[in-house]
Amino acid sequence: MSAIEFRSVAKVYRARRVIDSLSFTIEAGERVVLFGPSGCGKSTTLLLIAGLVAPDSGEIWLHGKVVSTAGRIHAAPRSRGVGMVFQDLALWPHMSVAENIGFGLRARRVAAAECRRRIDDIASLVGLGDYLQVRPGELSGGEQQRVALARALALQPRFLLMDEPLSNLDAVLSRRLRGEILRLHAELGFTLVYVTHGQEEAQEIGSRTIELGESRAL
Amino acid sequence: MRKWLVPALVVAVVAAFVLWRFSPGTQTPTVVVYVSHDQVFSEPILKDFEKETGIKVRAVYDTEETKSTGTMNRLIAEKSNPQADVYWANEPVRAEVLRQQAIAAPYLSPNAEGISASFKDPDGYWTGFAARARVLIVNKNATAKPDSVLAYGDPGWRGRAVMANPLFGTTTTEIAALFVLWGDERAAAFMNALRANGVKLSPSNGDSADLVARGEFAFSLVDTDDVVSRVRQQQPVELVYPDQGADGIGCFVVPNAVVLIAGAPHPDMARKLIDYLLSKDVEAKLARSDAAQIPLHPGVEGPPELRPIDKLKTTQVNYAEIAAKLQAIQPFLKRWVESGW
Amino acid sequence: MVTERLVLVAATLVLAAVGLLPVAAMLKETLIADGRFSLGAYRALLASGDHLALLMSHSLQLAFLTASLATLIGVPLGVLLGKTDLPWRGALTLVFAAPLLIPSYVLAVAWLSMVGRTGLLGGILPEAWSREIASAFFGLFGCTFVLAAAFMPIATLLMIAFLRNINPELENAGRLVSGWLGVLARITLPVVAPAIVFAAVLIFLLSLGEIGVPMYLRFPVYPVETLTQFAAFYDLRAATVTAAPLLLVTLAVLGLQNRLHKRVLQLGRRTPRGEAVQITLGIWRLPLFALVLAFAAVVVAVPLGALAVQSFSVDAYALAFARAGDSILRSLAFAAAGASLLAVLGFFWGYLAERRTLFLWWTNEWIALLLLALPGSVIGIGLISLWNTKATSFIYASPAILILGYLAQYAILPTRVVAASLHAVPRSLEQAAWLSGAGWIATLRLIVAPLARRGLVAAWLISFVFALRDVAISIVVYPPGADTLPVRILTLMANGAPSVIAALCIILIAVTLLPLAAAGLWLKFSVARP
Repeated sequence: MSAIEFRSVAKVYRARRVIDSLSFTIEAGERVVLFGPSGCGKSTTLLLIAGLVAPDSGEIWLHGKVVSTAGRIHAAPRSRGVGMVFQDLALWPHMSVAENIGFGLRARRVAAAECRRRIDDIASLVGLGDYLQVRPGELSGGEQQRVALARALALQPRFLLMDEPLSNLDAVLSRRLRGEILRLHAELGFTLVYVTHGQEEAQEIGSRTIELGESRAL
Repeated sequence: MRKWLVPALVVAVVAAFVLWRFSPGTQTPTVVVYVSHDQVFSEPILKDFEKETGIKVRAVYDTEETKSTGTMNRLIAEKSNPQADVYWANEPVRAEVLRQQAIAAPYLSPNAEGISASFKDPDGYWTGFAARARVLIVNKNATAKPDSVLAYGDPGWRGRAVMANPLFGTTTTEIAALFVLWGDERAAAFMNALRANGVKLSPSNGDSADLVARGEFAFSLVDTDDVVSRVRQQQPVELVYPDQGADGIGCFVVPNAVVLIAGAPHPDMARKLIDYLLSKDVEAKLARSDAAQIPLHPGVEGPPELRPIDKLKTTQVNYAEIAAKLQAIQPFLKRWVESGW
Repeated sequence: MVTERLVLVAATLVLAAVGLLPVAAMLKETLIADGRFSLGAYRALLASGDHLALLMSHSLQLAFLTASLATLIGVPLGVLLGKTDLPWRGALTLVFAAPLLIPSYVLAVAWLSMVGRTGLLGGILPEAWSREIASAFFGLFGCTFVLAAAFMPIATLLMIAFLRNINPELENAGRLVSGWLGVLARITLPVVAPAIVFAAVLIFLLSLGEIGVPMYLRFPVYPVETLTQFAAFYDLRAATVTAAPLLLVTLAVLGLQNRLHKRVLQLGRRTPRGEAVQITLGIWRLPLFALVLAFAAVVVAVPLGALAVQSFSVDAYALAFARAGDSILRSLAFAAAGASLLAVLGFFWGYLAERRTLFLWWTNEWIALLLLALPGSVIGIGLISLWNTKATSFIYASPAILILGYLAQYAILPTRVVAASLHAVPRSLEQAAWLSGAGWIATLRLIVAPLARRGLVAAWLISFVFALRDVAISIVVYPPGADTLPVRILTLMANGAPSVIAALCIILIAVTLLPLAAAGLWLKFSVARP
């Protein structure tokens, strides 16, 4: 039983067939890179896995259960155990770093003390210990990345989805963070689906590559 | 980019058209009149004038005083550069205010002949025509009928009377008339008696009439046209002429007043309009209309529901004195209204 | 950039000239008595201090309650209509907008005809109940109810407009860990909070300046004082002086708002997938739809239905067109012209408010908000004092004077809407264009305006609605023979047949809703294009 399975999934978006009859499987704990030119549906695939959009046809299975079919989302995003780092990070500007990370914990009604402990843990895991009370707007690019990463990992997700997370960083920082992602993966054991169009990055991060073709205009 | 061009051009064309169409023209003879008499009644008269003389009328109308600042303020504000030629006031005190502020100019119209001297200014600064009378509107289901304005102060009518806000309109004028007639002391006492008797205030005569028709109050002091219109709509009300007895003060008459504006842009057209408005013809029209105005020219047929002016006992009082008294009692009236809240 | 500075300074000066100069002219008059400097008028104001304080407290109560109620209901309604898959969203939005479009005084009359003792309710309910309801309606309760119903659309429409601008990924990130209620409460609404505060402030100021409804429902309020000075005493000086405390209250409110409003920065670039996230209501869809429909029936259908019933005859409409047909066309033309100027100038005012590239960038907004708070009659008389001279007669005696009035009073509306929509257009986009050789104006035309076009359309629409429904300024300055429809409605109310008045109100609503509906359709179909 695979962790993620796509069966002939298609998605039309603004009169373009962004994804056309896409099928693949990803095993639990794998590190998979979605690779391909711009506009081929990599980000859309992530959104489909997360359940934030529904496919137009085909089926999506997570851990042996069908979660999305044509036009319908059977399992809500918050029940899928998905953590995601968005392309522009999507950090909530009106909350501190601690509040950003702890949002999901509070939504699950985790007790305050336990919340604080887990926030501290994950923050030190990604190297953010000193910045917890600061607003994201006051952090550098690399620090914001770590906040996004910490937030995605706070609920110990089964799947971590990352949408071109290192595209705005310099080479040194990028390499360092790549190493950290690998380390976290080894420690926490989530299934990683990673979107990039950088060759070097793809080879380093992914144990396997899924290449997506060009989208077709309808 | 081209998407913006079309809407922008359309807007520009519309704007240009609007400005051209509505800017002051120079070809057609025009007269500008500011009107305080209800538009519903005055507009047809002005349209007739246009048809009969070919002079284009451009009018500014008033709302009820309590809904806006109105034409008087515009006239006062425009004093240094008048835009209006004629002012059609719905009561003479406003005309007096204009005379005092040097906004009115004298003009003795030939059509003013026959109108009683008490209804016009001796120097011609204003001339009265087509009058209303201040009367009582009484709900048909009221147990008794009041017959005097003194009923407002009568404890027997406690809480069952309503009056329009005495800071505005014909109500103010009548109260000022009472101050002139009775003297300050007695009139002030009367006003305080009203306060003690729980008289309610409404925004206007029309609202008072509606409240009486709806049965919320037994009677109110309003103008004749307020009563006539509700009677014609078959609402359960009737008209009582107050104080008609031998020693009664009579009912207070409020004529329309027409004024020539000093420095009017079109003075000749203005005089033509004034003559027209003061004609017997116009009085007859206003009598026949729902305005139910009482003609001041002798021999003109009045509205069927109302007594003609010569059969009515009217309050004998001078409008210039009323105007002066009104300015004097303003602080008192203001305090009186304020204390009621 | 030099062009930028010149244009923005010019735009600010236009606002000052159009709005502040007339008011300054009147303020100058208040300080002069018999040709000498004198504070007498202000002393007289303070002398009636107690009474005025009471009136002011009434006004503040009314404004506060109305703003609270309208926002409390209008914001969730805006979320439902702007962000979910509720059926008939577009039509319902137009329906809820209707009460805003007619003079609020007419709304009060319509309501009273329903709930008054001889109204429809009076016929259905037992005598004691209907008497209670009728008497409760007169006073603070009735005024709040009517004004909240009239102004709630402001909160709803602003919410719908601002919800489109939120970065969808902020919400998506929340949806991964929380249900929609949590996301709305902790992410969406806090991010849109500046819009909610603005709506509340707007409704507060509009209610503060209301005269017609409180006078009709016999609730004594402060602006009555200004009106009294004008209408009873013809004392222009005292009337202007009376407006001064209103300005002070507005300044206080502005200060409060600035405290509450923290600049919310959007991190990163806006994603190419710019579509707002829609909430699927699932099993809640039909119950919520029924609830919203019921609410619309009570708040909108009742008074408008009363009007429609009253006007229900071909005669009434025929007479209405005969009496007021020309004013309908004029109203549309003037409002369209005013809205267009407001949108264009508002673009520059909003640009300055958002980008803050000039030293005194905040002056625009403060001036504009103060002008909104001023009674229209004061602005009107100020316009007369300033523009009624031989030299400027060509402006004063033309509809241009009306347009100037709209510009002065409603400047804040397009300013804020444009500022909000420019928030989502990063300055880097402009900078990239400048580097490529485009000038400032060209960049605005080719880059900024197209990206902000939704906001520009919204700014035009909101300006159109307010210019069309304006009465206070119009009635003071309209050129003789060129009155507008709302003015005509008010002048005809004195003794006009109720059925004709009702027909005119229905016509007014219809002509205002048409461009709104057209714009709504345009907005919907323009989404398909990137």
